[in-house]
Amino acid sequence: MNPSNPPQTAEYGGDEVSAIVLDPGYSTTRAGFAGEDAPKSLIPTYYGKYNADGQEKFVYGDDIFVTPRPGLSIHNPIGRDGIVEDWDMAEKVWEHSFTSRLTGAKPGNPFQNGLNDIPSEELPTEMEVESEEKPLADSPLLMTEPGWNPAKAREKTIEIAMEKWGTPAFYLARSGVLAAFASGKASALVVDIGASNISITPVHDGMILKRGVQHSPLGGDYISSQIRALFKKNSPQPITITPHYLISSKNAVEAGQEPQVKFKTFAADKAPDASYRALLEERTLSEFKECVVQVWPGPNKLSATGPNGISNEDAARSSPGRPFEFPDGYNQVFGADRFRVVESLFDAKAAIPDPDSPFPTLPELIKASLAGVDVDIRPHLLANVVVTGASSLLYGFTDRLSQELMAQFPGPRVRISAPGNTAERRFGSWIGGSILASLGTFHQMWISKKEYEEHGANIVEKRCK
Amino acid sequence: MSLASGVSIADDCITEFNNFRMSHGKTKYIIFKISDDKKTVVIDSIGKEQDYEVFRTALENCKNDAGKPMPRYAVYDVEYDLGSGEGKRSKIIFISWVPSETPTLWSMIYASTRENLKNALNIASSIHADDKGDIEWKTVLSEASGGKAK
Repeated sequence: MNPSNPPQTAEYGGDEVSAIVLDPGYSTTRAGFAGEDAPKSLIPTYYGKYNADGQEKFVYGDDIFVTPRPGLSIHNPIGRDGIVEDWDMAEKVWEHSFTSRLTGAKPGNPFQNGLNDIPSEELPTEMEVESEEKPLADSPLLMTEPGWNPAKAREKTIEIAMEKWGTPAFYLARSGVLAAFASGKASALVVDIGASNISITPVHDGMILKRGVQHSPLGGDYISSQIRALFKKNSPQPITITPHYLISSKNAVEAGQEPQVKFKTFAADKAPDASYRALLEERTLSEFKECVVQVWPGPNKLSATGPNGISNEDAARSSPGRPFEFPDGYNQVFGADRFRVVESLFDAKAAIPDPDSPFPTLPELIKASLAGVDVDIRPHLLANVVVTGASSLLYGFTDRLSQELMAQFPGPRVRISAPGNTAERRFGSWIGGSILASLGTFHQMWISKKEYEEHGANIVEKRCK
Repeated sequence: MSLASGVSIADDCITEFNNFRMSHGKTKYIIFKISDDKKTVVIDSIGKEQDYEVFRTALENCKNDAGKPMPRYAVYDVEYDLGSGEGKRSKIIFISWVPSETPTLWSMIYASTRENLKNALNIASSIHADDKGDIEWKTVLSEASGGKAK
């Protein structure tokens, strides 16, 4: 069989079955049925691990937030660069994303699930179960990946999908291309602001221009670390984030006053690991980003002076502040600081001193990305900048990006398109995959199980370019 | 094979495009659309009007049953004169028209079918347009002439 020929309809189950679309990110994993508007299953990619009765146990999905079990530690199978580090656990987390809400759990061994128990000593129950049904045996699977996913990781992904999950048909799509397509564009500069990463992906005629792909860890987690740095030197007093699970009771206090709070204490052998606390602190920081943080709208950097001689800092200070209350009841109005924590995405000098953050700024990344592509197509890309990713929802982000790009590239026309709809911004590539995988005509793209068996995992390199 | 919708191109599109190519400017444009069942690219309209604005308005007036603007593909025969006594030249350009209000479903289908059609027609010069301002005559002229005609 020639790997460039499409599979026959019968080989992957035909149009009748809904494909599953799986969009694995660093912070969250999104899964759902193709053809739907939004992923039904949205789980954290983090998982929890603890010991009970001498056995190692795992917690997946939203359950990781709920119970501060003794020794519970939080891990992530994906590295900060968006590439899988721990394949065994990535497989389990991803599997949880579709078995928990979409396909249902695998049927257990019928001799052990309790439904077929027979009175003891009646019959021997030592028969072998023939074959355990695999969780995706009936559903084609479309997965997304970052543009810089290495060939080894791509092969490993199809291997898991085919061998562990038993999917009849598979496709691996670059999330940058999906985001460009979802904006109606076959050529675009895709700016994806995720949790652990910012990435710039130039797409031309539906293909990723690999030499132009740039990514850096300036994502939502970096903004969190800037906010933490701000809290450390906050006035009137430094702020410590105490997650809800450590708070037993609290009283309302005036803004800027010491919190009046009683803490819950855990004995050393009952306390969860520090990584659990960090995960829950992150939830408070997410809220802070959504409610308080704002990107300085420009023109020019926050540190510059405006046209009428007033420094932008002063202008930021005179804009109305926003109040925020922490889980321990401490509350304060944040003024110019709420601009400062994100300014370093655009201006490296504005970073709040933090030992681990000498990263290129977003305009620098875009410049480097454009330098990696052909001169002739640069104007086309700048006229079609597509912004996606949940952290791009920071208030004022696209306006500022537009200002910066116009200042940096004064000649060509710069135009940014960003979906106004929050779900489309958060789930851009999932939605793109959902539409494609639901098209009857998409069957030509799927890699069927038969083709995989014939050509091996390397087929993904040939078919999913 | 890069990521694509798999939407096929009706034979008609190729036949009519070849006629268009042979008409040497008598036919000015063809507008294509994707059929409502999302399976095939078909011909929407063919125009002989020499006035470019007629074509631009025709694109803008492509709506669905609910009166919402809808995407299209088009080919246009751009005629230009470089003025150095070499006479008139002409070049066919490919236009993808995806108005910014287009629902995501149709944006996705049009974007992921574009390369297929462009390759089937074998056209090198193309323009992508979200609004009418992207396909003003001077933009089209500059794309067709490689920036030489003003």
